[in-house]
Amino acid sequence: MASLARYIRLGLGTWLLALMITASMPSAAQQVNPTASAVKEQQLLQELNRIQGRVSIPDQRSGVLEQPAGREWREFRNVTLRWVGGIAILGMLVVLVVFYLTRGMVQIQHGRSGRTIVRFGAFERFVHWMTATCFIILAVSGLNITFGRPLLLPLIGHEAFSAWSQWAKYAHNYLSFPFTIGVVLIFLMWLGGNIPNRVDVEWIRRGGGIVGNDHPPAYRFNAGQKAVYWIVVIGGAAVATSGYALMLPFYLSGIEGMQIAAVVHAIVAVLFVAVMLAHIYIGTIGMEGAFEAMGSGVVDVNWAKEHHSLWLEEEEARAAANDARPKPAATAAE
Amino acid sequence: MARMKFLCDADRCIECNACVTACKNEHEVPWGINRRRVVTINDGKPGERSISMACMHCTDAPCAAVCPVNCFYTTADGVVLHSKDLCIGCGYCFYACPFGAPQYPKVGNFGSRGKMDKCTFCAGGPEADGSKAEYEKYGANRLTEGKLPLCAEMCSTKSLLAGDGEIIAQIYKERVMKRGYGSGAWGWKTAYRETIES
Amino acid sequence: MLIRRTQRSDSERRGSVATVLSGQSGGLDRRTFLRRSGLAGGALAALSTLPLGSVRKAEAAAAGPLTAGATVRKNICTHCSVGCTVTAEVLNGVWIGQEPTWDSPINRGSHCAKGASVRELVHSERRLRYPMKLVGGQWTRVSWETAINEIGDKLLEVREKSGPDSVYWLGSAKMTNEGAYLFRKLGAFWGTNNTDHQARICHSTTVTGVANTWGYGAMTNSFNDIRNAKTQMIMGGNPAEAHPVSLQHLLEGKELQKANFIVIDPRLTRTAAHATEYVRMRPGTDIPVLYGMMWHILQNGWEDKEFIRQRVYGFDDLRKEVEKWNPEEVERVTGIPGEQLKRVAKMFATEKPSTLIWAMGQTQKTVGTANVRASCILLLMTGNVGGPGMGANIFRGHDNVQGATDVGLDIVTLPFYYGLAEGAWKHWSRVWDVDYEFLKSRFDSKQIMEAPGIPLTRWFDAVTLPKDQVAQKDNVRAVFVQGHASNSITRIPESLNGLKALELLVIADPHPTTWASLAVEVGRKDGLYVLPVATQFECKGSRVASNRSLQWGEQIVKPIFESKDDLEIIYLLAKKFGFADKMFKNIKVENNLPEAEDVLREMNRGSWSTGYCGQSPERLKAHMKNQAKFDMLTMRAPKDDPEVGGDYYGLPWPCWGSPEVRHPGTPLLYNTNLGVMDGGGTFRPRFGIEREEKVADGTTRKVSLLADASYSKDSEIKDGYPEFTLASLKKLGWDKDLTEAELATINKINPATPDAVSWSLDLSGGIQRVALKHGCVPYGNGKARMNAFGLPDPIPVHREPIYTPRVDLVAKYPTLPDAKQFRVPNIGFSVQKAAVEKGIAKQFPLILSSGRLVEYEGGGEETRTNPWLAELQQDMFIEISPADAADRGIKDGGWVWVSGAENNARARMKALVTERVGKGVAWMPFHFGGWLAGKDLRGNYPKGTDPIVLGESANTITTYGYDPATNMQETKVTLCQIVAA
Repeated sequence: MASLARYIRLGLGTWLLALMITASMPSAAQQVNPTASAVKEQQLLQELNRIQGRVSIPDQRSGVLEQPAGREWREFRNVTLRWVGGIAILGMLVVLVVFYLTRGMVQIQHGRSGRTIVRFGAFERFVHWMTATCFIILAVSGLNITFGRPLLLPLIGHEAFSAWSQWAKYAHNYLSFPFTIGVVLIFLMWLGGNIPNRVDVEWIRRGGGIVGNDHPPAYRFNAGQKAVYWIVVIGGAAVATSGYALMLPFYLSGIEGMQIAAVVHAIVAVLFVAVMLAHIYIGTIGMEGAFEAMGSGVVDVNWAKEHHSLWLEEEEARAAANDARPKPAATAAE
Repeated sequence: MARMKFLCDADRCIECNACVTACKNEHEVPWGINRRRVVTINDGKPGERSISMACMHCTDAPCAAVCPVNCFYTTADGVVLHSKDLCIGCGYCFYACPFGAPQYPKVGNFGSRGKMDKCTFCAGGPEADGSKAEYEKYGANRLTEGKLPLCAEMCSTKSLLAGDGEIIAQIYKERVMKRGYGSGAWGWKTAYRETIES
Repeated sequence: MLIRRTQRSDSERRGSVATVLSGQSGGLDRRTFLRRSGLAGGALAALSTLPLGSVRKAEAAAAGPLTAGATVRKNICTHCSVGCTVTAEVLNGVWIGQEPTWDSPINRGSHCAKGASVRELVHSERRLRYPMKLVGGQWTRVSWETAINEIGDKLLEVREKSGPDSVYWLGSAKMTNEGAYLFRKLGAFWGTNNTDHQARICHSTTVTGVANTWGYGAMTNSFNDIRNAKTQMIMGGNPAEAHPVSLQHLLEGKELQKANFIVIDPRLTRTAAHATEYVRMRPGTDIPVLYGMMWHILQNGWEDKEFIRQRVYGFDDLRKEVEKWNPEEVERVTGIPGEQLKRVAKMFATEKPSTLIWAMGQTQKTVGTANVRASCILLLMTGNVGGPGMGANIFRGHDNVQGATDVGLDIVTLPFYYGLAEGAWKHWSRVWDVDYEFLKSRFDSKQIMEAPGIPLTRWFDAVTLPKDQVAQKDNVRAVFVQGHASNSITRIPESLNGLKALELLVIADPHPTTWASLAVEVGRKDGLYVLPVATQFECKGSRVASNRSLQWGEQIVKPIFESKDDLEIIYLLAKKFGFADKMFKNIKVENNLPEAEDVLREMNRGSWSTGYCGQSPERLKAHMKNQAKFDMLTMRAPKDDPEVGGDYYGLPWPCWGSPEVRHPGTPLLYNTNLGVMDGGGTFRPRFGIEREEKVADGTTRKVSLLADASYSKDSEIKDGYPEFTLASLKKLGWDKDLTEAELATINKINPATPDAVSWSLDLSGGIQRVALKHGCVPYGNGKARMNAFGLPDPIPVHREPIYTPRVDLVAKYPTLPDAKQFRVPNIGFSVQKAAVEKGIAKQFPLILSSGRLVEYEGGGEETRTNPWLAELQQDMFIEISPADAADRGIKDGGWVWVSGAENNARARMKALVTERVGKGVAWMPFHFGGWLAGKDLRGNYPKGTDPIVLGESANTITTYGYDPATNMQETKVTLCQIVAA
């Protein structure tokens, strides 16, 4: 993230220079030789690494005469980002494959009980899948911007690639809205279950029980899921904010802000994708019984006992208290 | 082989904006698209200098490097051009461009950008030289007619130079030598990785 | 060197593109990227050999497919007085492209923002399309025939009721010489001297002040010649914005000569940004600044004593005034430290040749005439007149303001400065081939026929003042304005009363202008016509650049929509009034359009006084055709050229004698180092040949006003001499050189006393021819006047502006007493006194000045309608210093209300907080219009003709103040207050 540091330095430099100029403002503007005191390019660039002036047209961003920082942004985009993204995504895939090969699917240790319990309601699932679908399309179209040119373009050619990229861009822009709404709903919907607590410490200490057959206790969401939640919420907020800054260019900031937004958007997005790969893995082939939670919305009680023991206890206690008759929310499957 | 470049002699530029309107005139550039602009540094203060800026047609152009769809190409004269048929209006070239050259027509809602437009060094685009299709997308193609960019040709004080980099560098060098001062070949270090020793 | 496409090898062709497009699919081949690598060129052949390098086109390859078959036509830019040639490519009657005009010695291919965008003018969708009139408050289309008939009838009705002087004919510096001349002639045939144009508010003070100093009131040298100066001093001008292409010569001159480039100005202008010395002064103190310099010059003996002795009158009178301006007093009044002024004075006086450049900064003042006089005096004192790199380089404003002034579109004279006396009328009646008695019969009286008319600055005063205060039969009742903005005239709030009271207002213009939007705003429902006029790109004719060069413009395209040529409109009016046959007696008219060439020929026949007699249309056209042959520095063509041999470009006037004499024109006025047939000259003895002066002991003595032992090269008279008449030729024995025919003409002009016929009245040109033959200047050889007796202030005197923040100085430096001038009262003194007594300076503490933006011109309607220009300046603004802005809580870019010292005037605009202006000074551009006191008047324009950019007019805030010699308005110094909106 050398680029980011550079931008921070830049901001500081601007501020300092402005201070210096104000302090050394000539009091008597009368005896001047404007030719001799002409501003020099190299001097300005050394001071700020950016040259800004006044233009009469309303497009104020055009007042930036030179920003060699564009060269560094390019370095970020073409080199840094591809490395970071490549390592994060490919690395995650490698880790998951290795994990799958060594650990295989995490089974329900005690087998299915036949009894199920509702884990996610219809609305929750709708929000999840809406967000997820958007995310996948956003991810693919986004990755296309970064990796399409070296990977896909040579295969399908300029015209096809541009046409596809054009549609991908539209999709990326428009699907950002349902995605953002999804993230906001997720944030509100599941906030209650995702406040970290002491149980999480134990869960983390025991490595989530991922190795061996350990099953550390957890409420509705274990520490791993909480991590995913917060990554989605914070990461989602970050990509959305930076994304909208890019989509509404220069409404909020100048060129340096746009560059920072692009850097933030890209880095968060590739890490986001990597994390989501893991999430997808664990929710599908990584763990027996996990997919049902978002699929049908009900999970096997034994699965719940193993992975969310405290939650199951809470649910059962609540059911017992709420209903005198033995008709718990979790009914026996026939 | 000629390597086309721009050079703005800031000690001559008076911000008359002839380059700007010459460009509008030659290419019928619409309102809001500023292929060329004049920026004034230290406006109103002693040492004020104005510089006319457009696409500098960089060596190893950053816009071309970052373009997700690879729509740029460099001609044998070193002019950086692009294809509007391929451009998807993502705006990345603007972030990478050190000179703020790429322009985007506003199309549709929430600032979604149309196809990028920029200075072509009066060299048109990928279509057939001097064709109507080329003119409509990119403007006039003066290079094929043996003419140089109109902005430089019409510059009121001969501040803006355009042409073979070696020749205009020589002209600038002679000027600085003769008059004894020069605020630098603005943008050359960034665009061409070279400076003019004077 | 570029390599042509055909010479390139395939491998080269692949080179750059192949790498970029590696991995491309078949689809891309069709995109023809590869084809592009074979770019053609060859454009740079001549480049390296150029001095100081301009980019230059070599022999161009054939034009591309889109421009193939286009014809090339040349005209002159209509936006300022530099006189840049515009080269147009025309295909099928459509102006399709503009190309640089490398051959023009003036602009050498260059343009400014305005010049580079003129093509738009003939494509504009917002031009007036057809005549319209206001019917019950609604704009209604009418035919040309109806319009001319109705307007004509109404004008005749006003004439019948109130006399011919009740119609005000406001012409334009945008007309060609031919148009402006015919417009003045129309006024003469109509029977009034109320014919004015922009020169009144431009350089009327220069014309008066400079002509009163040394003979002619025009730029003495040329833009090109400034390259020769070792010291360039610009005082009261901002050519970087007002005359951008001139900066090519100024800056190259500065570089080549390592010249001093001094800018004295209240603002650190775009010009000042390139100065080697910038002097900030208080607005309105030009005379103290100049005297402050002269004080140092005299103190140190830097004056040119020999020059003064030989060629200057009144030096001792001047010395007395200069002595009052010691450095302490100068600093007290102007704010300039004595040391800096001494340095500047030394440069100007000792690092010669020095030139003094000025424009509106000196002229648009209540002391405008005195200002320019002081400038001339500085030049005379240092011997800086009449040679290369010297002179008063007075940058005129509009493209033909010099010409329109010369051809007499003015209230004080007939064409070519003949004045209004009986002799002048008789001269022109001979030229026009009409009876003097007929002309006289057109006027109310002989007395009013010989009395200067009403200045355009006062048109609304002439409408609204009580009848007994307007010295003509009746108030002005109708205004016919052809090509003049209303927002460039001061005191807009009061002009609104005039707009309301008029019986008829006719606006003939390519655009409706603020005349229309303001007239509708004051509630006019009828009596208002707009007539579409073509721009000069749609017409042909000659126009005069600031350097006095005449250039012939070709018609590029036919007038668009229903627009008409100025000349045709004038003809239609004359026809309606019933004197067309008399007025156009010797001018060919086809389809109601008088032939421009014939009009120019008529001018040639009558313009002996100013030397417009040699510039026949044929010669001017030859110059345009052979532009490339003229040297850039001397502006002269090689002597052996068959068509333009030896001529100076554009035959800068005076170009003596008939065209057959082949006088080359006069590139530098008053240059005694050249023979008169090579463009040399002397100061013009225009004010008598001797003057009686009082001596200290009470006696009087006669002092000669003729030059002393100074004469132009090869003159046969080796001393000063008066103007030539038949009598003086006889005395010299040169009358024998006259031909029979010439003598016959002279005898016909004044059968009673042919001896009195002078060089300027002799229609045969014989007297001029003979004088030239003997190496003499027809007008004589006199001294320039430091003491210009006859002017309100014969020796310039500092007078504080009417509205000054320095009330402490008013008692010592008051403005001149109230007086009646040009048929109306000038009550400047009373206004100044009242302002001091009422403490106006406390309520309105900021000095307000105004000026030019490069993108716009004049009232700005034309340029604000051009999208290529309008995009560059979209808001009216006021410059204010950071200190003043901070005091008022004003932010850069924020809205402010500016209020003025009169009429509770206020205007809303954006603030531009900048150190460009000093503390206590604010500055506005004057090109905006279409807003009034915060209200947008867009709806008042006829539909679709509103300019793209509208804004408050600076002149809403400007105030009373008129130069006593010309009634120039005061736009540069008044007071205002600014508050955040």
